[in-house]
This record gives sequence, structure tokens and C-alpha cells, in this order.
Amino acid sequence: MRKFGLDPRTKLFMIFAISLIVMVNSSNPLQWGIRILVTVIPIILMMLEGKFAAAIRFAVLYAVAVLLQIFFLSSESSGMISALITGYCSIFAQFMPAMITACYAIRTTKINDFMSAMQKMHVPDSVSISLAVVMRFFPTIKEEYGYINDAMRMRGIAMGGGKVSKMVEYRLIPVMFSCVNIGEELSAAAVTRGLGAPIKRTSACELRLTAMDYITMAVFVLLTAAFFASKYIG
Amino acid sequence: MKENKLKAKDFITIGIFTALVFVVEFAYMMLGFIHPYVILSYAVAIPVLCAIPMMLFYTKVEKFGMITIMSVLIAIIMFVTGMGWIGAPLIIAAGVIADLIAKKGNYKSFKSTVLSHGVFCIWVGANYIPLVVTADDYKQDMIKGGFSEDYCNTLFNAVNGKTIALILLCCFIFGVVGAFIGKAVVRKHFEKAGIV
Repeated sequence: MRKFGLDPRTKLFMIFAISLIVMVNSSNPLQWGIRILVTVIPIILMMLEGKFAAAIRFAVLYAVAVLLQIFFLSSESSGMISALITGYCSIFAQFMPAMITACYAIRTTKINDFMSAMQKMHVPDSVSISLAVVMRFFPTIKEEYGYINDAMRMRGIAMGGGKVSKMVEYRLIPVMFSCVNIGEELSAAAVTRGLGAPIKRTSACELRLTAMDYITMAVFVLLTAAFFASKYIG
Repeated sequence: MKENKLKAKDFITIGIFTALVFVVEFAYMMLGFIHPYVILSYAVAIPVLCAIPMMLFYTKVEKFGMITIMSVLIAIIMFVTGMGWIGAPLIIAAGVIADLIAKKGNYKSFKSTVLSHGVFCIWVGANYIPLVVTADDYKQDMIKGGFSEDYCNTLFNAVNGKTIALILLCCFIFGVVGAFIGKAVVRKHFEKAGIV
């Protein structure tokens, strides 16, 4: 049997619902409640799928941002420092839910699940393949950047001699070099395995929406509806 | 043998460069948390910085649709990371127009590439649109939601209905400037290395 895991389509739906919520500022306790709830759910889901470290890191970060924002800062606070802290915290509290969910979806979705879900939703190949590559590529870029940073440090070019243009040149260009090369390899590998063949692709992973998926979706529909109802009606 | 249909290899190229552009953009966006005026400088710095991967991307583009797909992907990523959907149509429109301009030069002419990149960079400006469309509401919300009044006033003095046109223009101009810089960088590094 498969391990516990939601269908990629459910995850996409979660991202969609949460993006709607994070775009609007919450101004009363109910809205804050919903906002916090939609952040907690992906964190719990992340733990259920065994990503404890990331889940705890997010939980702590989010808690700190929200607490700071609620207890220490208000519209009366002014001045450079508090504006800075407010800025940080509100942006964090504002966008963290979306980031956490996006991160949860990316970390727990295997590329083949993702592709098969995209195919079931009849998303054109052009978008689904490119998106899959984007998803797969963020960790790669990070890794490559780490290597390049190490190499630069070994040669004593820590910050590019203080010149911004050099800093960009010494980091970005090598990253682009390796990414282009990795891309060549990736497309060779993918084409060998039949990507882009003119027939309909079949998939080894059978996706089915389970009760858990429906429950999650229903919860998010309700939460989003409640949020907007209290925002614009009540 | 010239085929006009996009192939799997093209999709992968699009994906890689979208990821690169987004990483560059995101790194710079992090700076915006420091002060509202940094948010304004997005319109200048992001087109210039992103021009480097973009100009390399342009050398790989030779079919219609690649720039359009990239703009669709950027719109999706912007949406997912919470930037809102109001800017999405503008992002995609900019992508399509940029694609058409580049196609006119057959994806080879430098002049149309520069123009096309300028138009494409309007997507950076699209991120300001939620601020403008809902300015009053948004400001009230932000103050109620815990932003300090100082921060809001500074932000909204800088970004409003009058300046949005200026911001978009700025994106375009610096997109063009960036294209020249990016081209120079690509020529300096990548053409010598034989990657282009």
C-alpha cells in the first residue's frame, strides 16, 4: 500500500485557496483564526508525510512572526526600527501560509505524481512539463549555488571585492553555466524515456482521490468561504 | 529542417530559465522587506538583473510560444507565492506581445530582442497593480492588519495611480537597458565558451 499522502490535485487546490486568503488582509479575530488555521493544516500534513524538520522550522518561524505582530506592533508604532520589524513580520505572517503550502506541495509531490495529475486535469504539455522542470530545478539551483560559493570562497573571492557587479558576475554566471548543462542532460534523459513522443503517455502511478482528499478540499472550501463572508458581508 | 512545433526539449529549456529568472527575482525581492523604497527599485533592478538569464534564454528561443509559456509560468508562480491574480493578465499579455516582437525579428535580430525584452519586463510592474487597484482598501487593511502607518504612507506615496504608468515605463526602459547589459555579459562569457 502507499504511504499516507494527498493527491497532487488536492495540494494544488490548497495552494489556490490559500493564495486567495493571503491576498486579503485579515482585520478581525475570526479572520486571523482562519489564517492561522490554514497555516497549521499544511504544517500538520507535512509532519504526517515525515518532513519533521521542515515542518517544525516553519511552525516556529510563523509563530514568532504572528506573536510579534499581534503583541508588540500596532499602527501607532513608528520610526525606522519598528517599521522595519513590522514590515518583516507582516510580510512573513502575510505570505508564510502560501510559502508553507507551496513548500509542502513541492517537497511531498513526486514528479511522476505531478505529471500524472496534470495529465488528468488536461493541462497542456507545454505548461505541465515546464512547471515540472521549474519545480525540480529550485533545489538544483540551490545546490549548484552552494558549490559555486564554496569554490569562490576557496579562491578568496568572498564578496567579489565589494563591487556589486562583480558579485553578480561571479555568482550568477557560473550558476547559469551549470544550469544550462544540467538542462541539456535533463532533456536528453527525458527524451530517451519517451517524453515528447507523439502518443498519449501512460503513467505507472494510478492517482485516485480518496476520502481524505475530499475532506481536505471541503475544509478549505469552507474556510475560504467563511473568510470572505466575514470580510465582505459581516 | 525547420519545425515550428515546440518539443519536449524546448519545454525543459523554458522551465530551467523560468526557475533561474525567478530565483534572481526572489533574491532581490527579499531586500524589499528592508524599506518601502526598495520595493520601488524593483522596477529598475529586476529588469536589469533578470536580463542576464533572459538574454541567454533568447539565444535558445527560435520558435513562437516559448516566451508566452514563460510568462504563463511566471504568472502561475506569482499567484502561488501570494502576489495575486490581478497582475496575471498583464503578465501574460506582456509575454505574448514580447513573443510577437521577437518573432518579427525571427528570434535573431538584436533590435527586436531588445524591444521584446523591454516589453517582457513589464511583468515586474504587474506586481504593483494589486497595490494600485485596491489602494484605499488595501491601505486601511494594512493599517488594521498591523502595518505601521509610516510604512503605509511611504509605500502609497510612492505607488499610486499616477506613478503606475511611470513604473511600467520604468520597467520597459530598464528592460531595454538590461538587454544591452545582458547581451554584453552573454557575449563575454557564453559565446566564448561555446554554449550559445
